[in-house]
Order: sequence, then structure tokens, then C-alpha cells
Amino acid sequence: MKFYYFHLMPYVMEHDEPSSWVTLSNRHYDPALGHTLYHQYLDQLEYAEALGWDGICVNEHHQNCYGTMPSPNVMAAMLVRRTTRARIAILGNGLPLRENPLRIAEEIAMLDVASGGRIVSGFVRGIGAEYYSTAVNPTHSRERFYEAADLILKAWTEPGPFAFDGRFYRYPYVNPWPRPLQQPHPPVWCPSQGSSETVEWAAKRRFPYLMVFTPIKRIAQVYAEYREACERFGYTASRYQLSVNLPICVAETDAKAEGLARQHAMWVYHVGLRMLPQFWQPPGYTSESSLRRLLSTRGKMPTELTYEDLEEGGYIICGSPATVRDKLRVFADELQAGIVCSGMNGGTHEKTLEMMQLFAEEVMPYFREDAHVDETVGVGR
Amino acid sequence: MPEPTRLVVRDTPVDVLRAGSGPPLLYLHGAGAGGRWLGFQQKLAERFDVIAPTHPGHAGAPAAEWIEHISDLAFHYLDLMDTLDLPRVHLVGASLGGWIAAEMATFASHRLASLVLIDPVGIKVEGWIYPFLFGMELMDVVGMIFRNPVAAMALAPADMSVDTIMEMYRQSTAVARVAWNPYLYDPLLRRRLARITVPTLLAWGAHDRLAPLQCAEAWRKEIPGATLRVFDDSGHVPHIEEPDAVAAAVAEFCASREATR
Repeated sequence: MKFYYFHLMPYVMEHDEPSSWVTLSNRHYDPALGHTLYHQYLDQLEYAEALGWDGICVNEHHQNCYGTMPSPNVMAAMLVRRTTRARIAILGNGLPLRENPLRIAEEIAMLDVASGGRIVSGFVRGIGAEYYSTAVNPTHSRERFYEAADLILKAWTEPGPFAFDGRFYRYPYVNPWPRPLQQPHPPVWCPSQGSSETVEWAAKRRFPYLMVFTPIKRIAQVYAEYREACERFGYTASRYQLSVNLPICVAETDAKAEGLARQHAMWVYHVGLRMLPQFWQPPGYTSESSLRRLLSTRGKMPTELTYEDLEEGGYIICGSPATVRDKLRVFADELQAGIVCSGMNGGTHEKTLEMMQLFAEEVMPYFREDAHVDETVGVGR
Repeated sequence: MPEPTRLVVRDTPVDVLRAGSGPPLLYLHGAGAGGRWLGFQQKLAERFDVIAPTHPGHAGAPAAEWIEHISDLAFHYLDLMDTLDLPRVHLVGASLGGWIAAEMATFASHRLASLVLIDPVGIKVEGWIYPFLFGMELMDVVGMIFRNPVAAMALAPADMSVDTIMEMYRQSTAVARVAWNPYLYDPLLRRRLARITVPTLLAWGAHDRLAPLQCAEAWRKEIPGATLRVFDDSGHVPHIEEPDAVAAAVAEFCASREATR
């Protein structure tokens, strides 16, 4: 199994506002504290490489305290020069949120060349709230996503200059310098929450599918859908096309791990993901069929999830090293997931580093049958 | 309430409510009021042949994917007039419907006997930014639209079943397609209002919080000869909040245009 260390770069704070997104005033943000946090978070990502993680991950979110990385490419650029081996996965750039997505093709190519071909390029639509923050019309979201992805892939793979004339994006000259170092282009991943349209789109292109913060039952369903779609497209999915993003909390004993998770892991759900219902589902963002399915299953909102829900539902992995190994086995053996992306939170920077070290020493080595395999060969392109 | 009739206008299905007798009056509803036959319409039907189509995607009507811009809706209703063989109508539009009606008038004043705009949105007014209803919780939206929230009950959904929620989602999607950004206006419209050559009445709620009276002033300035009539006990939807008074004023205005033709 491959391990990627994932960071949200949250601005952890308590507040009574109805939403941590879009409307939570940025007067709550203290830039001096932000300076310290950015450096701690980047140290953690760099430490992950030193401890043997295969990749380190950044991502894009706007106008919230959940994740303070509106430009993931800026963070990736800092990591490029401070790491040498690990892949840097940008999970991802919100394609429809850009007025000029050719900039994404350019920025990723810059990072890929500078890093010696270590970039993984995630393509996402951005969550609903992002359409309030950027004012991009959510009814165009899916179409802009497909069109921007086509443009970027073409810009990476076809010699320029050429003209591109889409519905949303039009260029008389597409000819970005530099071109990416990885050929034909950096691997593309699709982090998502399981909409059938995205599953289909990713499977068709062999783009790995990353389930983010989803209960394990739903992960199993979507993986099955994805594998079935791959078969329909005439190939069998590699295990490195199926990945999962879930927080891990490991400590010397189960009880200690549970205590830490109750204290620190719940914040993401109870505060970080608190938002008004309309921010989850702006008009036209979700297809009618996907929304109808969502409404009829009526899952809990993140703020309603208890520690027990997260633990039993398999949203998080928590426990002693032995317990964490057992739980990870379920992902490795039953779900056949090839890549696990996880963030950790020990409560303080130092405790987080200790937790990472414990995981690297007591858990990771038990899942290294595939140490010699390059997870990006034959997938993501 | 009259039975809805489904027409097809250039391949797009349209549900139409129609009742009354007299000169034809085309009524374009605001967001949230589609498919309804309100006291205002009933009152107008005493003196006019009231034709009230539902916008595509509203009130359970099928969405029309080709509609990308507010002018698409304007041409859609000019096409509807052709389909119904109506050379000239009194055109009355409220809020979003008023925006569509104003666009129609800039393209085809000659097809109109008169124009009534009830608290329309659609133009950028200096010093005013329309509050972003898409980002508000339902109760805040109600407070923004109605002077007296009790009047909002006329538009309340029957239940909160999955079907109803899906219908509301399709409707807000249809509105977002034409109004998300720029929000509630067409940057090209304001300069074009000078092209309106038909007698125009602006009916406005004194307490409109979405498009306050300063917006009414901007409209009055741009549309040659337009008359402004303010309704003191109303917010954004005077035709729902003071239906009798607004219907009487509209009927009087349209009838007077009828007399001078």
C-alpha cells in the first residue's frame, strides 16, 4: 500500500456562527498565528517525506477556517524545493473556479519541471461553497470542469500553438511554456464524493478516484461502481486507481488514541465543515439524479456526526498501532484500495510529529509488500 | 384557478394559465410564483384576457437547457406571443418577470400596448448591490421579499417532500442560470431602456429591500415617460401584498392605453 500525507492546513478555532465557510468573517484570522501555522504545517509535510511517506498532499478551498490553502500550487511550490523524493499531490485544483484554466496547465507544468516530475495533479470541481466565494455560476460547474480538463490535457500533450474554442474557454493560441516533465503528462487524480458522473468520467480516462471523508460502506459502493465502469471501458482497474482520504489517529493505546481523536479529530466535522445547507448544494451544482439519491438516503450532516459515527462508519481510523493495522487491512484487503491519504492531528505540532513517527514505525512497514511498485505507472493518464 | 394548458413554443414546452376576457394581457411571474393563479391575476381577469405562462424549470415545468441569458427568456415569450397569435399585448411583469418584460420591450415595443413593471430587477443601480438571496436561509429570503411575512403564505410549498425539494432546486437552478453572475441584472439592459416607446407604469413597494425605491428612480429616469406608482404597505411584491390596489392601478393604466389607441 502507498501512503500519502494529507494536509488541510486548518485554522482551528471555535465560533458560534452558522457557517465556517463563505460568511465567517476573516477578522477572526490572525496573520501572526497564521505565519506560525503555515510553517508548522509545511514542516509536517516535509517530515512525512523524511519518515517514508510516498507522497504529500495539498488542496484548494476558499474563504473558510477549514482549510487555509486557497492556492494549493503556492504551497506545492514551497514543498518542491524542500523535498526530493516524495510525490507532491495537489488534490486538487478547482478547475471550474478559474476564469483562465490555462494557468493551471502552466503552473502544474512549472511545478513538474522544477520537482523533477514528482507532481500528481488532482482535478476537482470545488465544493458547493466555493461557488459562493468565487461567484462562478454553479449551473456551469460540471460543463466548465470537463471543458477545462480537456483544455489542460490538450495543452500538456499536443504541440502548440493551437486554437481552443470552447463554450466557456476560448484561446486563439494555446502554447504553454514550460511543458510538463512527466510524459505524456503528470498523473491526474479525481478526488470526489462519489457522484456517478465523475466516476464514469474518471474511469474512462484511467484517472484514480479518491474518496474523501466518506463512510466505508459508501466507499465500497463507489469503488464497485468505478471498477465496473473500468471493465465497461475495456480494462481492469489497478488498485492504485482506488484511493481513500481519511484521518488517522494513532497512539500507544486504543484509549489514548480515542481520547486524542475525540479532542481533536471532531473539529473538522463539527466546526470545519459547518455550513448553511445552501452552501453544500448551490443551484445546478449537483445533477437532479444525484441530488435525488442524496435526499432519499438522508445521511447525517457532518455537524451531526458523533465520534461513534465516525469510528463505526469508518470515516476515520483510530487506535493503537495494532488496531490501526487491523483497520487498514480492511482498506487494503477488502476494499483493495492502493493508496491511503491521511492527515493526523496530535493536538500540538510536536504531538502531531510524534504521531506521524509512531505511524511510520509501527504501522507503515506492515503494508510494504509493494515497496518496489511505482503507483503512477499505467494510471492517471 | 384555470386549468393549465401545455403548449410547445419552438420545441420548448410551456404551461400556461389563462382566464378572463377583454384585451390580451401577458403576465410574467417572479421567482417562486410560477404556476399560481393569485388574487392579482383573478382581479385583472375581470377586464382582460390574462395569459400567465410558467417560466421553464419553475413550478414543476420542465427545464429548458438552451436558456442561458435573460434575453433568451425575452425571445421565448415573444415566440409564445407568435404561437398564440397575439400581435399585441399589455405586458405585466413582476420582479424576475419584470426584468424579462423590460428586455422584451427593448427588443419589440411595437408588440406591446402597454408595459407594467412591478419591482423589477435587471439593471445595475449606482450605490446599490442586490442582496444575494441564493446565500440566504429561507426565513431571511422571506424577510427580504415581504413587508408582512404573513403574505408569504400564498407562495409556501405544500410540503417538504423529496419531490417538492427537487422542484424548488430545479427552479432555483433555472433562476441561477440567468441571474447568478452578474447577479440579478444584465449589464446591457440599462442603456437600452431608452428604446422603450410604449407607455410604462412602474409599480413599486415602498419597503422593497431587494430593489429599494432608489432602483425605481433609476428605471423612471431611463424609460421615456414612465410613471412611478408607490404602494405604501408593500415590500418587493406589492401585487401579492396589496393585490386589490395593485390590480386596480394596473387595470386602470392598461385600460387607459386601450382607450387612447
